[in-house]
Amino acid sequence: MVEDNVLAPTPAKILNSENMTAIEKHIELELLDKEFAKGFVYKPGQFVEVGVMGVGEAPISICAARKKEDLLELCVRKVGRVTNAIHRLNVGDILWIRGPYGNGFPMEEMEGSDLLLVAGGLGIAPLRGVLQYALSNREKYGTITVMYGIRCYTAMLWRDEFLKLFYEGDKDNVEFYLSYEDSSDEKCYELQCERSDRCMQGVVTKLFGLKEVKPENTYAVICGPPIMYKFVVQELMKRDFDPKKIYMTLERRMKCGVGKCGHCIIGTGKNIKYVCKDGPVFTYWDALNTKGMI
Amino acid sequence: MYKILAKENLDPFFESLKKIGKVHGPVKVGRSSYDFREVDSLSEVDLTYTRTMIPPKKFFVKPKETIFEFDEEKLEFKESQNSEVNVILGVHPCDINALKILDSVYMDETPDKYYIQRRESSFIIGIDCTPDEYCFCSSMGTSYAQDGFDLFLHEISRGYFVRIGSEKGYNMVNDNESLFEDAKPEDIEEFKQNERKRIEAFKLELNISGIQDMLDLSYEDSVWKETADECFGCGTCNLVCPTCRCYDVVDYVGLSLKSGERVRRWDSCMLRKHGLVAGGLNFRPTRVERLRNRFNCKGGLTDGSLSCVGCGRCTVYCPAEISFVEVMKKIRGEL
Repeated sequence: MVEDNVLAPTPAKILNSENMTAIEKHIELELLDKEFAKGFVYKPGQFVEVGVMGVGEAPISICAARKKEDLLELCVRKVGRVTNAIHRLNVGDILWIRGPYGNGFPMEEMEGSDLLLVAGGLGIAPLRGVLQYALSNREKYGTITVMYGIRCYTAMLWRDEFLKLFYEGDKDNVEFYLSYEDSSDEKCYELQCERSDRCMQGVVTKLFGLKEVKPENTYAVICGPPIMYKFVVQELMKRDFDPKKIYMTLERRMKCGVGKCGHCIIGTGKNIKYVCKDGPVFTYWDALNTKGMI
Repeated sequence: MYKILAKENLDPFFESLKKIGKVHGPVKVGRSSYDFREVDSLSEVDLTYTRTMIPPKKFFVKPKETIFEFDEEKLEFKESQNSEVNVILGVHPCDINALKILDSVYMDETPDKYYIQRRESSFIIGIDCTPDEYCFCSSMGTSYAQDGFDLFLHEISRGYFVRIGSEKGYNMVNDNESLFEDAKPEDIEEFKQNERKRIEAFKLELNISGIQDMLDLSYEDSVWKETADECFGCGTCNLVCPTCRCYDVVDYVGLSLKSGERVRRWDSCMLRKHGLVAGGLNFRPTRVERLRNRFNCKGGLTDGSLSCVGCGRCTVYCPAEISFVEVMKKIRGEL
């Protein structure tokens, strides 16, 4: 008999909920089962299944490094049935959590190296965990370069936090670059005027024109909309990056999170992968060996 | 361990199965279809059946099942319990090998409680079969069940040559000693000859050597488009496949809107919604991608075994008459 039921969720209370943009909320949760919370150890890049009873579950990546054992931070974009239901909840309400799932980013393997984080839009959420982890273990990592592509100023997530890094990151050896797509965005244009070495209009890959990226001793970590990966990888391969040192985290329909429901299967007969349990973090080497991954 | 079950003991053998649990066996329904149904007497069962439309996976991966009931007001949920014991009589080797593939999915590092409960509480009795023109399990290495059953019956002239595959099977034989006798050299010889004849009877063949690379090399092949043009995208192949296990999860809410149940039910990778994520992006937007994904999934490995067992169901029941073997042969450049 198996006592543990992987499909059984645990209740978590919403401690804090903040609208970051028109469609994205930052939610802080407290796990109510303290025994469960002790074993709830997660790495940047892992995700949880977040459920609203009567509506369903959705896979959401954890957007912060683990600070306290019963706390969990999520960034939820209002985009489907479940996430709309999550947005309707208030502080004090209950969400049902399963996880953490997936492999996460290899923070230990990357120790001693420079980090290049490339994010597009909501893709910054899992990378924020990487960034926080690296900043709280600052001596273990070299220069941290962040390239963050947004649509416009109002779509920028964790605006205060990232603008602080944009202006003052250098003293912690963090170089924060920003790109924006909406050419009529005045706020972003102001940022560009202030720091033309750090901000420019266009897609995120344009930022490779501002920063000389070297493959030596550098790990690249990518997350963004599906279309973004191959363009970022192209830039990195032009610079002779090792495919095994390019990490990316993928989105798929992950209903169960534990490699059973089959929706997130990718690849060919040669190499079938479940994004939820074999990933969601893969290297570009994996992508070269798994058709349909990016 | 091997035993003989004489013809005249088959009826009492059947009766003794009822003491273990609910007995299910292949029953003829309609003109040419079979289904595993609960049975009360041996006469209802046709042990010489070709194949059931729905494989015995339905006993373990339920077409629809409640995961738990919830009550938001009380902040609790109640796991659904399962206490029934099923005896499944007359499972073919391909289907037993298919269950082993499901085992590796559902009993891996994150074991599925519901599946395991049902697997552990069931009693499986295999039976050998005569291949028809759709069977190709001999090509897939699944024409013989080495394990994954409690008892396995091989027909011989004086009854059945019985292989004991588990402790449960051993106990059943011990509890009903009088029904069984030891195998004699002539029984063993007959079993061997029957196996030889059975394997010789396969007409359909599929060369699986290097099939994984062949599939990988055919990612952009026109065969996917050509086959998808014929395919209705109905998902029948998924439902009848003994190794297909994709499931969807749905919440059903009671009138109070506070209580209800979370249910999982069979899903199909041939349906449009399968690769769809919130926001409208579909990772397998057309039938071409979905069909290619299905064939690659079947041709891929699950824990070292090919994920197709060659039962022929997807071909037999496809309303568009798409032949699995034919598509794979096109992939190999043989057609």
